[in-house]
Amino acid sequence: MTAENDIGIRAAEEFLGPSALADRIRAGPNHEHYVRIEEPEFESAVEHLAANKFVLISLFCCEGFTENAAQTLFYVFERRSSILVLVRGVNGSATSIAGIYPAASWFERECCDGFGVEFAGAFDTRRLFLHETYPEGFHPLKKAFKNAPVLTKDAIDPADEYPFREVSGEGVYQVPVGPVHAGIIEPGHFRFSVIGETIFNLEIRMFYKHRGIEKLAEGKSPQECVRIAEAVSGDESVANTTAFCMAVEKLSQIPVPARAWYLRTILLELERICSHLGDQAGMLVDVAYPLGANQFSVLREECFRENDRLTGSRFLRGMVCPGGLNRDIPKVSVDELAEFARQLRKRYRIGLKIVLSTASVIDRLATTGVIRPALLRPLNITGPAARASGGKVDVRQNHPYGIYDQFAPKPQRLRDGDVLSRFTIKASEIMDSLDLIERLVAAIPEGDVRSDAPIRDGYTLAMVESARGQNLCWVWIKDGVIERYKVRTASFCTWLAIEHAVQGNIVPDFPVINKSLNLSYAGTDL
Amino acid sequence: MNLDFFLYLVINTIVVITVSPLFVSLIKKVKAWTQGRQGPSIFQTYFTLVKLLKKEVIYSPNSSRIMRVTPLVTMASILVAALFVPLVFVPETVGGIGNIILFLYLLALARFFMALAGLDAGSSFGGMGSSREMSISSIIEPTTIIVFAALAFVFKTLNIFDMFAISVSTGSPSPSTLILIAISLFIIIVVETSRIPVDNPETHLELTMIHEGMILEQSGRNLALMELSAAVKMTVLMALLINLIVPFGLISALTLAGILIAVFLFVVKGSILAGIIGLFESSMAKKRFFQLPSLFAMAFFFSTLIIIIEVFS
Repeated sequence: MTAENDIGIRAAEEFLGPSALADRIRAGPNHEHYVRIEEPEFESAVEHLAANKFVLISLFCCEGFTENAAQTLFYVFERRSSILVLVRGVNGSATSIAGIYPAASWFERECCDGFGVEFAGAFDTRRLFLHETYPEGFHPLKKAFKNAPVLTKDAIDPADEYPFREVSGEGVYQVPVGPVHAGIIEPGHFRFSVIGETIFNLEIRMFYKHRGIEKLAEGKSPQECVRIAEAVSGDESVANTTAFCMAVEKLSQIPVPARAWYLRTILLELERICSHLGDQAGMLVDVAYPLGANQFSVLREECFRENDRLTGSRFLRGMVCPGGLNRDIPKVSVDELAEFARQLRKRYRIGLKIVLSTASVIDRLATTGVIRPALLRPLNITGPAARASGGKVDVRQNHPYGIYDQFAPKPQRLRDGDVLSRFTIKASEIMDSLDLIERLVAAIPEGDVRSDAPIRDGYTLAMVESARGQNLCWVWIKDGVIERYKVRTASFCTWLAIEHAVQGNIVPDFPVINKSLNLSYAGTDL
Repeated sequence: MNLDFFLYLVINTIVVITVSPLFVSLIKKVKAWTQGRQGPSIFQTYFTLVKLLKKEVIYSPNSSRIMRVTPLVTMASILVAALFVPLVFVPETVGGIGNIILFLYLLALARFFMALAGLDAGSSFGGMGSSREMSISSIIEPTTIIVFAALAFVFKTLNIFDMFAISVSTGSPSPSTLILIAISLFIIIVVETSRIPVDNPETHLELTMIHEGMILEQSGRNLALMELSAAVKMTVLMALLINLIVPFGLISALTLAGILIAVFLFVVKGSILAGIIGLFESSMAKKRFFQLPSLFAMAFFFSTLIIIIEVFS
């Protein structure tokens, strides 16, 4: 895309003026544009972007980016295929934009916990990933803090306990659920305010297993950091590593061999299929229809075994690396994959037919947990959740990476936004991914799967479409090592959608609504 | 009280306690088969009960005496109710036992205490389970009474014992009435024993639980009693359906060989019904909570139909 018709640049011209923009704008290596912005223009710029339907897809902080400010805030805006990053230097305090962009609330709280940046005018200033036991004034992402165990509080004064939104009134009672759940799932706390069986309000609290991934990545070489990217979220390993590697490759201008991109794309789509199959099985378990659920659980297991045959890892780990792939997949395995995909499609259709012809299942899924289309932009909801609510967002189409420009997926769109729509969207995406895999296998070229080039310094943004939506990462390499690695998975934004989707539904329907989105707790809690 | 009746009390109680875990396992087995799984052994429920009986009981510090007496009250009232339904042997009628209203209220007593215990520990899931159970029971109880009223009309007696005696001696009523009774009783079984589409006995999701929610805080020996009483209750309701509709195998004179054959036949008939329940459960998802009355309405409708037929024929 040329700079002239980039809507991001046009918008920046409108709020800054063409002459002022010229020396403030910098083109990033991956089609993004960075615009330096100062306090006076900031608010009007954000309002202008909001009026022009730009979506705030991320906001993160970093230290030591410029000399004249302690911290630098990066506001990443997206509209269609254009990405505009507002770069703003601050000294410990900034103005909140959560009133204009509700998605900013969690981002700002995250920056505040990590770097101690206060956001004036924010409607929510509670701590986010640092729970009550962490000491006051502790900001782990500051460069001054060396990664080491921190002394946490043993006991918490009741006055310091995390204040949940209070909903009171006749007949309203609170139901606390979690962070320890039945079954084998990750920790998260759900605070319901319920009238009878109807959910009046839900507040979600995450971050029970903060691992300090961003801190851990600092000072590591890109090769070492691949392992960290893989661990961001177990079932999004390929997506997150691909995003990280793409950033490194763009920065260092490493040419990735064609065969490597074909194989990467196959792995990305396999990961999507596994995830969607698991979600569909989960939704059926949650409406107590194990007969249907098992159809999909079995297929998911078969997929994991195929993953294992292809890569030696059920979760496709250890394959993607900067410059391509760590090792090639032999031709015979790739050919077997085509046959596997055909078989899988046949068996999947049978399973799907059983489920979709069961009236009691449809009755449970339809009209349950509606995500209204009006929420998509303010909360930056992406992935199947957005596509089931009429959203036209898919990174593979909006910002095609690798070979997705040649092998375009054909995502379906539905408008209802209920659990049934998400179920149907996921079904169609599984079919689409299987198609894509067959086309890729038929066209895969021979050749190397890896090229090496020296790592260069710089920073850039990379995005991939994971099974759950848009995963974004920003990598800044300084002196050959990672200076800052920021990941924002689709889950981080979509959790808030659940709070809205459950309102007015009954408590026993919560599990199926939650499972229809099946967000990653680990991907949220770095 | 004559000797036959005393033996009846002993035999009936032993049989109901020994076979009920088998039926629970059988339903699980059938459901596993429909899903293409092997499923647990058909003796698994026995092993689980034995294991639980050996474990210590832990009470929440918030719980009161209710929590401690509930397992006993529940088990006792279900076992007394079990005496009303002859599984293998119908003795001569004795006064004071077999009243249909007493039978229903013994089941209600057990349920009442279970709901209290659900509230007692102060956990939010227990409270939700109790509240749901009570909402359901307030709708299902009138239905159950209509179903039993229909039985009373068909057999022209208010005594369950007499119903079985009539069923054994004169054969079952006409096939049309039979089908309607069977459907109504089947729905009662599904609702009373908390099975799909009303409740999911295998779920781990506390937010969706009804029966399991109420017994979440129970542990060890007490949990074993709760599980066993649920199993016995299911067997009793199943026996009501089986022995009224297919009385074949029920004996009225006491001999050792006769008893053994009758037990065998009862297990066979019960296994078939357990299989049907398992298939029924596999065929559908759980209903939405507020749509449950539509299911009860079906039992209500069929029973009313029976009454109309009986009154006007």
